[in-house]
Amino acid sequence: MKNSFGPGALALLNEIKTKYPTGRAAIMPALYVAQEEFGWLMPEALEAVADCLELPEMTVRSTATFYSMYRHRKAGRNVIRICTNVSCMVLGARTLKGVLEGLYGVAPGGVSPDGRFSLEIADCIGACGSGPAMLVNDDLHTGLDAKKIIEVLENYK
Amino acid sequence: MTRYLLDVVENRSIGEYERAGGYQGLGKALSMEPGQVIEEVKKSGLRGRGGAGFPTGMKWMFAAGDPKSPKYIACNADEGEPGTFKDKAILDENPHLLIEGMAIAGHALKAELGYIYLRGEYLKEKDILETAISQARASGYLGENIMGSGKRFDVHVHLGAGAYICGEETALIDSLEGKRGQPRLKPPFPVNSGLWGSPTIVNNVETLANLPFIVREGAGRYVRIGDPGCPGNKLFPVSGHVERPGVYELPMGTTLREIIYEHAGGIKNGKTLKAVIPGGISAPVLPPGLIDCPMDFVSVQKQGSMLGSGGVMVFDEDTCIVRVAHRALEFFERESCGKCTPCREGTGWLRGILERIETRQGREGDIRLLEDVSKNITGNTFCPLGDGAAAAVLGFLMHFREEFAEHIKNGCPFGPDDLNPYHYNPVQP
Amino acid sequence: MISITINGKKINIEGPSTILEAAKKNGIDIPVLCHHPALELWGGCRMCLVEIEKMPRLQTSCTVPVADGMTVYTETPRVVAARKAMLEFLLINHPLQCPTCDKAGECALQDLTVRYGAVAGRFEEGKRTFPENVDDPIVVRNMERCIMCTRCVRMCDGVQGAFAIGVVGRGARSHVEPFSGGRYNCEYCGNCLNVCPVGAIMSRLHRYTYRPWQMDKTVRTICPFCGVGCTLSLEIRGDAIQKVSPAFGTGVNNGLLCGRGMFGYGYVGSPERLKTPLLRKNGKLEPASWDEALALAASRLLEIKNRYGGQAIGGIAGSRCTNEENYAFQKFLRAGFGSNNIDSVARLGLLHAQNLLEGVFGQGAAANVIQGIPRSDAVLIAACDPTRTNPVMGLQVRAAAKAGKKVVTIGHAQGLNRHRTHSLPAAFGTEGIALAGLLRELLRTKKFLPGENPELEAAIRGFELPELEEVEMLTGVPPAVITGAASALKDAATSSIIAGRELAASMDARRNFMLLAAIGYILNSRFFLISENPNEQGLIDMGCAPDILPGGRPLTLQTFRERCEQEWGGKLNPEPGLTLMEMFEQAGDTVRAMYIMGENPAFNLPGRKKVKEALGKLDFLVVQDIFMTETASLADIVLPSKAWSEKEGTYTNLEKRVQRLRKALEKDKNQESGMEDWRILAGIGKRAGLNNMSYAASSDIIGEIARVSPLHTGLGLEDLEEDGMMWPYKGKPLRMGGRVPPLPSLRAMASSLDAARVVLEKTLFHSGTLSRHSGALLDIMSGPEARMSPETAGQLGIPEGGKVKISTADGEMVLKAQIEKGLPAGAVFAGNNFGEAGSLGLFGYHLEPESKTPVLTVSDLKIALFEGHIP
Ligand SMILES: Cc1cc2nc3c(=O)[nH]c(=O)nc-3n(C[C@H](O)[C@H](O)[C@H](O)COP(=O)(O)O)c2cc1C
Ligand code: SF4
Ligand code: FES
Repeated sequence: MKNSFGPGALALLNEIKTKYPTGRAAIMPALYVAQEEFGWLMPEALEAVADCLELPEMTVRSTATFYSMYRHRKAGRNVIRICTNVSCMVLGARTLKGVLEGLYGVAPGGVSPDGRFSLEIADCIGACGSGPAMLVNDDLHTGLDAKKIIEVLENYK
Repeated sequence: MTRYLLDVVENRSIGEYERAGGYQGLGKALSMEPGQVIEEVKKSGLRGRGGAGFPTGMKWMFAAGDPKSPKYIACNADEGEPGTFKDKAILDENPHLLIEGMAIAGHALKAELGYIYLRGEYLKEKDILETAISQARASGYLGENIMGSGKRFDVHVHLGAGAYICGEETALIDSLEGKRGQPRLKPPFPVNSGLWGSPTIVNNVETLANLPFIVREGAGRYVRIGDPGCPGNKLFPVSGHVERPGVYELPMGTTLREIIYEHAGGIKNGKTLKAVIPGGISAPVLPPGLIDCPMDFVSVQKQGSMLGSGGVMVFDEDTCIVRVAHRALEFFERESCGKCTPCREGTGWLRGILERIETRQGREGDIRLLEDVSKNITGNTFCPLGDGAAAAVLGFLMHFREEFAEHIKNGCPFGPDDLNPYHYNPVQP
Repeated sequence: MISITINGKKINIEGPSTILEAAKKNGIDIPVLCHHPALELWGGCRMCLVEIEKMPRLQTSCTVPVADGMTVYTETPRVVAARKAMLEFLLINHPLQCPTCDKAGECALQDLTVRYGAVAGRFEEGKRTFPENVDDPIVVRNMERCIMCTRCVRMCDGVQGAFAIGVVGRGARSHVEPFSGGRYNCEYCGNCLNVCPVGAIMSRLHRYTYRPWQMDKTVRTICPFCGVGCTLSLEIRGDAIQKVSPAFGTGVNNGLLCGRGMFGYGYVGSPERLKTPLLRKNGKLEPASWDEALALAASRLLEIKNRYGGQAIGGIAGSRCTNEENYAFQKFLRAGFGSNNIDSVARLGLLHAQNLLEGVFGQGAAANVIQGIPRSDAVLIAACDPTRTNPVMGLQVRAAAKAGKKVVTIGHAQGLNRHRTHSLPAAFGTEGIALAGLLRELLRTKKFLPGENPELEAAIRGFELPELEEVEMLTGVPPAVITGAASALKDAATSSIIAGRELAASMDARRNFMLLAAIGYILNSRFFLISENPNEQGLIDMGCAPDILPGGRPLTLQTFRERCEQEWGGKLNPEPGLTLMEMFEQAGDTVRAMYIMGENPAFNLPGRKKVKEALGKLDFLVVQDIFMTETASLADIVLPSKAWSEKEGTYTNLEKRVQRLRKALEKDKNQESGMEDWRILAGIGKRAGLNNMSYAASSDIIGEIARVSPLHTGLGLEDLEEDGMMWPYKGKPLRMGGRVPPLPSLRAMASSLDAARVVLEKTLFHSGTLSRHSGALLDIMSGPEARMSPETAGQLGIPEGGKVKISTADGEMVLKAQIEKGLPAGAVFAGNNFGEAGSLGLFGYHLEPESKTPVLTVSDLKIALFEGHIP
């Protein structure tokens, strides 16, 4: 097997397992750990999760592919998740997409040529009251417009 | 008016929370028999704040009446309904309120473990909750011997990963069990067979956050707040074209007009109101003529919509309703879990028709077709998601039919089109 | 009793039922797509919607239970409109490829579209597309056609327990895949194909070869691969089997099959089938006429009998031959030539195991219904892996685990790794000692013995059982694990015990089975004995053993001999003959000729070199088979017989259920002339002037069996129409039992835990001789492998994809290494399936003195990385 968890991740996984009565219930948090560890959920990452939780590989994959926050292909160094749902849309979210395309050459679902950003379209990130909004990695940014989004993103290298 | 959900404490520290009366409700609950706590909740008339408005006391009674053990408390913090961000406000500003509410539920149900199913995007809230949980453990409100009562209760946070359907209670349970988050057959209901087959109550964050007040102040006081048929305060998250978007804690039954014009500061930039969605995107849209409707479960339903999560989405005169409808259906298509035929296939079809109407390729008969497809979905789906999608479309058609007809005839009248339909990053690899 | 009204008709229902089931029982057809009676309820497709009075929404009849007083309508305009709407939705993404789709004609979606009328094509957006996937040799996946009923996945996870495929993605983009997205890494049971209602997952074996309506006939018969005896249907067109389909709701398997049964039929149509009799002339086998061959066989056998006496002839009966054929075989040798040297592969373990159990509990001790396994509270798997040797019985164990029952495995059972509650991983060869530990714990914690059998109880109390610490030293199983398993078992009101050759082909067989019997007695267990070949039980029941007459009666008892003598004419030799291995040991000496019917001892027995030499020493060797096997190639006369699908007859499965084989093909397209094994025997008998060997049909023989065998008294084909007939038929079991000899001391038994060992593997995809001629099974697994755990590979220094050379005093072979998780450390598994690499060539044997069961031995074992080319 090409990928396996490092000691830090293993410690985390062991702690996660204690929270649930079954190994299967730990799939979702374990997938986050794997995503963090390997960057995205390549087959080896899914195998590593399956191995660690003693579950069939297919079970892990089937669960993983149901959820949109797990990455199933290589991601950029920074992951932008921009909300374009109604509340953000009516406040101009869709124009932001054009900005990103123009400036960084990154289209929804893709990675910028320099590998700096990947762009995902999110369906509401719970920031409707202060849209347009986006998550960059784990950080929430709100009240975006064409100018502000560039300012924000310049902090992510 | 009394506010007991938000604005109670200055910061999130447990000390502040305690000084403001926090955890007294739990203390009182622990001095009561579990059955008495349930009785009190029943008397309070509390109805679930997750959308369906099911009487909380009754749900608890069913779960308590099931002889199986262990029992679990699952807090629904998935908050996936677009236009809704009220649970987030509680988590941001008052996390101990939720923890106390869960501990009360734990005592009432004789459960020893609770999970908070937190929507995946709420990473900041995950940290807040985990900090609050460890504070509560350190202060003896959670753990082996809570408040010296000899009772055990603990809470874990389970992070979702981007699936709206996991807000549906049985899908939430499957998801927590590590499965694909698809709704389960009912019966058996979660109160009898939920997490790992054990009796489980699933309650919304806001619902659980009502409990400390109810127990501490008594059901008698609680029923005097809000609407007599549906007491208590309700959180209204307001978004869209308003001057002061945000979350407002108001008595149940406050009118939409008051929410929009008094609390949220009216329509942005002095424009006029065109439409309002009163309860998150699954709730059918209402025209300005109906905004005197009191916001409670019964009244909103009478107007052909629903209170849902209470997420108020406000649209001004320059909003293209077709575009809103199209965006809503993009959401439903993407979020359909795929289990049942009408939702899996129908939401995409509706989105496709709306897309062509919005991009000047609409045809005669498209409105009829939209209605027809929506009606074929309605009532035939496995869970309410598909119904919600169809209801949303029918709502837009009911109040804005001319706008659709106009689009079909002459294209979108709202100036240059920035629609440029994108392709989602597919959920699958 | 619940009464409901459906479409105005009053219906009474006993017990819980869904509306759909109630309707079906009463002849009311409600269409379904996602529902399948063998699978967990789903309720996703919404085809089965019905109207129920007082319920505003239409309800899915497949999930809603009936309630007293319910009034249901299944075909109102509203219901029909909803169904039409669902069909319209489904056809949005479903391609309209019926003219080229193999499923056309048996596609549920097509049928329903015809039934409810095609909907006007109102959907004009593009359909979802997926390229057809043909990466797998057996399964072709066309996900454009998938309607997301998830039947295949519910089958794979819920019933088969293989977890090999799953739904990937969400919503309209979801589709079904194996983990790799391409080739399947699975058990190839094929059950997913069988439940797909449309053409989304199909078998490649019969792709584009026919349309369902062109089938000439469907013949219901029994699978030819193992002792479970699954019922299956052969779909025949012209002179070939086009497809095997299971029949849900029938047979011991209730519609489930394993890969061998589902895909292994190809051997029947193999071009390598023997076509004409062959005679050895000048050292070479040359074609001959039947007449010539039969006459020569008759005269040579007579010659040998006259010269050396009947006992100079030995015979090996066939575990794939029918009861009728095996009966005829032993009669041919006993009555015709006066020889009791008759034995079979049942000698490799089943016979001894059965004798030991029956010695304690009486005949039929292991005659139990496998569908009862999931109903027992606990299942004990003693040193075997039913999921490999008897896969469909293995499914019953998995079903038990799924139903929350206790499943305890002793030793290695890879197929149950995910399906057990307790595992006692005793080192190979020490499983019996683990049983002793378990019994000790059961006796300690279970307060009382049932009291039904005082003699047995006294014997059990007299057993000298080792301390758990001692057990740990010998087996490697920690005391806590044994205690845990015992406490899981002790409260079971009913239980099942499954055991196989592993415990019986052992020098400690008696000890092993006495322990098992004691445990079974305490736990009120039903026993199941693994039976690797389809009619192994039939061999025993038909008297194909040196000391047994038909009905399992001892040869040494005069009354039974007389019964046979009356029917057969002439006197029977009262002296038991030689056993399987003894015949070879004495070949060229007291044994001068052998007659082998449908077996391949030159490949399927340990001590291969010696067996081959022995065959060479014979004056005369006759082999009946359908292929030129290793054994046939040494024969003086080779007689082509018919394959299982070409003949009538009966098999007896491991439950001791007699079931009917039905002839599906007159002759296969590649085969010119074979004869049923019984017909060949009759032909030789006639030419040898034997009495009573002239039969016109297989049914004549079963008539005779019903007269001769007290067990089968009165049994006729008409009794076997549906699901065959269970023990004890209409006859009488032999009364015996109650013999519990003292337990041999355990201390004598030494074991070495650390040495790497080679283990004879039961491959799921191959049975041996026949499966090597099945194209599909070869596609699934094309050649021999040495499987081992990553730890073992590490110890031996063998890299992924490397080759291993295994050599012993008996032979050597080079195999591809297959490194797999979930295998026990310290063991290399090699199957006996492929030509020179058949792993039995590595083993020698000792005979267990009591039963003459060959016990495998390995000496001078060396396992090492091999770096050259496999020759
Ligand atoms: C498609 C769908 C999405 C839902 N999403 C949520 C949600 O995000 N949060 C929530 O609390 N309830 C949600 N619900 C409602 C839950 O199923 C359930 O009724 C609720 O959690 C019960 O809690 P309550 O009684 O406290 O309201 C959703 C229901 C459906 C059908
Ligand atoms: S309506 Fe059907 S497909 Fe849609 S989310 Fe519910 S179960 Fe899934
Ligand atoms: S058959 Fe009932 S929903 Fe599919």
